[in-house]
Amino acid sequence: MENKITYLDGAMGTMLQKGGLQPGHCPEALCLTDPDCVAAIHRAYIGAGSRIAYANTFGANRYKLAETGYSVAQLIPAAVACARAACAGTDARVALDVGPVGQLLEPYGTLPFEEAYDIYREVMEAGAAAGADLIAIETMTDLYEVKAAVLAAKEHTTLPVFVTMTFEENGRTFTGCTVEAMAAVLEGLGVDAVGMNCSLGPRELYPIAERLCAVTDLPIIVKANAGLPDPATGAYSITADEFAAEMVRFAALGVAYMGGCCGTDPDFIAKIVEKTQNITIPARTTTRKSVVCTPTNVVTIDGVRIIGERINPTGKKRFRQALMENDLDYILAQAVEQADAGAHILDVNVGLPGIDEPEMMVRVVKAIQSVTDLPLQLDSSDPAAMEAGLRVVSGKAIINSVNGEQAVLDRILPLAKKYGAAVVGLAMDAGGIPPTAEGRFAIAERILSEALKHGIRKEDVFIDCLTLTVSAEQDKAVETLKAMQMVRDRLGLHCVLGVSNISFGLPARGKITAGFLTLAMAHGLDLPIINPSAQSVMDAILVYNVLYHVDKGAAAYIAANAGETSSAAPAAAPGAAHDLPYAVAKGLGADARRLTRALLDAGTSENDLINGELIPALDAVGTRFEKGEIFLPQLINAAGAAQEAFDVIKAAIADKGAPPVSKGKLIVATVKGDIHDIGKNIVKTILENYGYTVLDLGRDVPPETIVETAVREDVRLIGLSALMTTTLGSMRQTIEALRASGHACKIWVGGAVLTPDYARQIGADYYARDAKESVDIAREVLG
Amino acid sequence: MAMTLTEINRAEVLQYLGWRGSEIPPEVNAQLDGCLQETLTLASPRVVWRLLPVLPGGLRVGDDIQALLSESTQCVLIAATLGNALETAIRRAQVRGLTRALMLDCCGSAAIESVCDAAEAEIRAAVGEGKHLTDRFSPGYGDLPLSVQPLLLDILDAPRRIGLTLTPTGIMTPRKSVTAILGIADTPQPRRFRGCAYCSMFENCAYRKAGKSCGK
Repeated sequence: MENKITYLDGAMGTMLQKGGLQPGHCPEALCLTDPDCVAAIHRAYIGAGSRIAYANTFGANRYKLAETGYSVAQLIPAAVACARAACAGTDARVALDVGPVGQLLEPYGTLPFEEAYDIYREVMEAGAAAGADLIAIETMTDLYEVKAAVLAAKEHTTLPVFVTMTFEENGRTFTGCTVEAMAAVLEGLGVDAVGMNCSLGPRELYPIAERLCAVTDLPIIVKANAGLPDPATGAYSITADEFAAEMVRFAALGVAYMGGCCGTDPDFIAKIVEKTQNITIPARTTTRKSVVCTPTNVVTIDGVRIIGERINPTGKKRFRQALMENDLDYILAQAVEQADAGAHILDVNVGLPGIDEPEMMVRVVKAIQSVTDLPLQLDSSDPAAMEAGLRVVSGKAIINSVNGEQAVLDRILPLAKKYGAAVVGLAMDAGGIPPTAEGRFAIAERILSEALKHGIRKEDVFIDCLTLTVSAEQDKAVETLKAMQMVRDRLGLHCVLGVSNISFGLPARGKITAGFLTLAMAHGLDLPIINPSAQSVMDAILVYNVLYHVDKGAAAYIAANAGETSSAAPAAAPGAAHDLPYAVAKGLGADARRLTRALLDAGTSENDLINGELIPALDAVGTRFEKGEIFLPQLINAAGAAQEAFDVIKAAIADKGAPPVSKGKLIVATVKGDIHDIGKNIVKTILENYGYTVLDLGRDVPPETIVETAVREDVRLIGLSALMTTTLGSMRQTIEALRASGHACKIWVGGAVLTPDYARQIGADYYARDAKESVDIAREVLG
Repeated sequence: MAMTLTEINRAEVLQYLGWRGSEIPPEVNAQLDGCLQETLTLASPRVVWRLLPVLPGGLRVGDDIQALLSESTQCVLIAATLGNALETAIRRAQVRGLTRALMLDCCGSAAIESVCDAAEAEIRAAVGEGKHLTDRFSPGYGDLPLSVQPLLLDILDAPRRIGLTLTPTGIMTPRKSVTAILGIADTPQPRRFRGCAYCSMFENCAYRKAGKSCGK
C-alpha cells in the first residue's frame, strides 16, 4: 500500500448548516432539491486536496427517511451523482457515507440485529448500483450495529469497506465499545480500513489513535472534529492551522487516511494537506495476540483463561427441560453465575434432539449477551446452528469446533473466516482419536495449515488435544499432556481442553479433575473448559498462577484465601430462622430452603407445605405491604425466599415422578415497543410464588406472538404491561388482536401510566395496580 | 459532555421504591447503599445543552411551554443521560434477583435528576449574574407532547453528542435519560410547574395516591 497519506473530506453537515439547513430537515434531500449546492461543497473539498468525497448519504436509510417523504432509492443515486459530478476530471473517488440507523439495537434498544442488517442492505445495494467506489461506515457507537452494516456491505457489494467509530476520551464509544474490540472484530470481518471520527478534536483523539495503531495492521483513518464544542452555542474551538499542526503527529503514527469531521471545512483540509503532504508515513509493526471479545470486554489469551462449560444440556436433566420449555431465565442464570464465579469466556451448546437448534442458538446468544459481557464460544456440530450463532454474536467468538476431517474443515473454516471467529481444532479425524501424542499433533498441524489456507490467522487457531476418561484408558492421560506440550512448543498455539471428562467413573471426581488440570496447565493448556463454580478447579488455577509467576506477589491467591470468601447465598447465621413463614417474611432464601427440606423430610406433603405454609406466609407479607408496613424491596425479597422454597418442593415432586403442581397457566408480557419490564418481572415472580405457571414472553413482544402463544398453549389469563403513554397504543392493539382471534381469555393490564378507566376503554377485563392485585385477579380467574 | 456524579438523593430513591415511612431493616438498607454505590460507579453521565435566542417553532406546542417562557428572553434545551452500562447492570441484576434490579433502576431515576441539577448549575454560571432560570420542563409534562422529542434531540445533535436516541415508540435509550426546556429571564421566575397537576403521571402516580409528591 502507498506510503503517502490519502486525504478524505471534512464536514458535510457543518457546511450545509452554513448554507442555511435547519434542524429537523433532511440534509440528504438537498441532493435532489439543490444538487448544485451539495456538489459545490464536494468541489471545494476536492479543490482543497480531498481524494475521497463522502457522498451526502449519512442518514439516507429507510428508518431516518420515514417521515421525510423521500426514499433510499431516490436519495442515494442523487447524492452519489452530486459527488461524482464534483470528482469529474480528478482522481478523487466517491464513498457511500453510511451513518447509524438512528435507533439503538437490542439489547440497548428495540431494533433487532436482522432488521438493522436489512436496513443497511438496502443502503449498500443502492450505493453500489449508483456507482460508489467504496463504502465508508462512520460515526458509529455500537459495534453490533457496525457488524450489521459490514455484513450487509460484504454480502451485497464488492466494494472496499472503511469503518470509523466515535470514541470518548476514555477510548470507549457511548455504548462502551473499546478501540481494541473494534480492531479485533473488524479485522475479522475483513474491512479494508478502520479508525475514528467525530466527538473529539485531534488532540484528544491522539492517544486513542495510538492505541489503535498498536493492535491492528489495517490502514488507519482519523477524521477529528474541530476541537470541542462550546456548550452554549455549539461552536467548535480550534482553527484550521491548529488542527493541521496536530495532524502532523498522526502522520508520524502511520495514519493513512486523514480528514475532518464536525466543525471542519475545506480550509482545514487544505491546511492538513499543506502540512503533511511531504511526509512519508512509517510502516507500522504490531504484535499479534490471541484475543476474543465482546464490544466492551476484550479477553487476551496471554495466560489461563477459563471457559465456562455449564451452558450445555449434555447429561443435565434440568438444562434439557429448560431448553424444551424455552426457559431462557434458567439459562441466563447459568451464564451470570459463571460470570460471577470467574469465567472469562462462556461455551454455549444448545444441541438437543427435537429442538430447532439454529433458532435456539440465536435466541440464547442474544439473551446471554444482553446480561453478560463475556465473549462466547459457540459449541455445535450443526453448521447451520453455528452460522446462525456467528451471525448474531456481538464481538469476536470462538467456534467449537472443527476436526481433522477434510469435509468438516471445508465446511466450517470458511465460516470462521467470514465472521472473524477464532476456531478450536479437535485433534481427531474420521479415524477417531489417535492413541498417541504424535498422532494428535499431526492432526493439529494439519488443521493449522488448513486454517492458514483459508486466510485465518495463526493466533486464531486453538487446539483441543482431547481428554479420555482415565478410569477407562489409564495410559492415555499422559498422551494428552504430551500432545499439548508439542502443540504449544512446536506450533505455538493455545490449547483448549474439556477437563472434567478425565475423572468420569471415579469417586471424588473433583480431586482427579483438579490434579489433571494442574498438570495440563503446566503442559500448555491455557483455555480449560470447566465449571467455574467448582472450588477445587478454581483453586488449582490460583495455585498454578502463583507457581508460574503469573499472579505477581500472589495477590490474587492471598485475596481469595483471606478468611471467608463471599458466596451467592447468605449463609445461615447463628440466629437463623426457625420457621418457614419467618424465613419468607425476612427474605432469607437459604433458610427457606433448609426449612422446606426439613419439613418434607418430616413427612409434610408438598401440597400442605404450599397451601398451609408458603401461601399464608406470602399473604401475610402482602397484607403488610398493602398497609405500608413494609415496602417493595421487602416484598420482593420475601418472594425470592419463597421461590427458593418452591424450587425444593418442585424438585421433590419431580423425584417422585409426579406431575408438577400448578394452579393454572397464564401469560405475562411487556407490549411491543416498550422495554420497561421490571414491573412485569415482579408480577411474574409473585404469581409463581402462588403456584401459577407463568409463561413470560419478555419485553417488546409483538401482538401476534402473544395471540399465537395464548392459542397454542391454551392460556386463559393474559397480563400485559406498558410504562409509556406512547406504548399504550400497542397494548390496545394486543387486546384487539386477542379478541379478534376468538380465543376465550381474560386480560389484565398494569403499568405506571394506566388507570382503571383507561384499562376499560382499551377493552381489558381487569386493571391491577401492583403485584398483589395481580394475584387477586389470578385467584378469581384461575382459582 | 461527560460529567461526574458524586451523589444521589437517597430520599428520592426511597420514594421511587414506594417507601411510606416504615421501618427499614438493616439488611435492606445495606442493599440500598450497595446499589447507590454501584450506580455512582456505573453511571457515565453526559449532558448536552444549547442556549437559543428563541424557542424553535416546532417545540412551541401547547400552552404550558409558552406560559413557562412568557417572560424569558432566551431559552435552553438540555439532554442528559446516564449511559448504557447501568442498563446492562440492571438487566444482569434481574437475572440474579429482582430487588437489586429494582433498586438500581430507582437509583438511576434519582441519579439522572441529579445530573440535570448539575447541568442547570452549569447553565446558571454560564448565563451570568442577574439572570433567572425557569423550571425545567420536559416533553410529556402538561400539554407538551412527547412528539416534540425527535426535533429536540435533533437540534441538540444528541445522538452524536451524548449517544441518546429514541426507539420508534419514543422511549429514550439509554432509558435513564432526560430532555428538558427552560427559559432565562431578567426577573425571578415562579416555580410554576413543579406541581403534580402538570405531570402526565398525575392520574396514576403512586406518590400522589399516598399523599406525597415526587417533587423537591
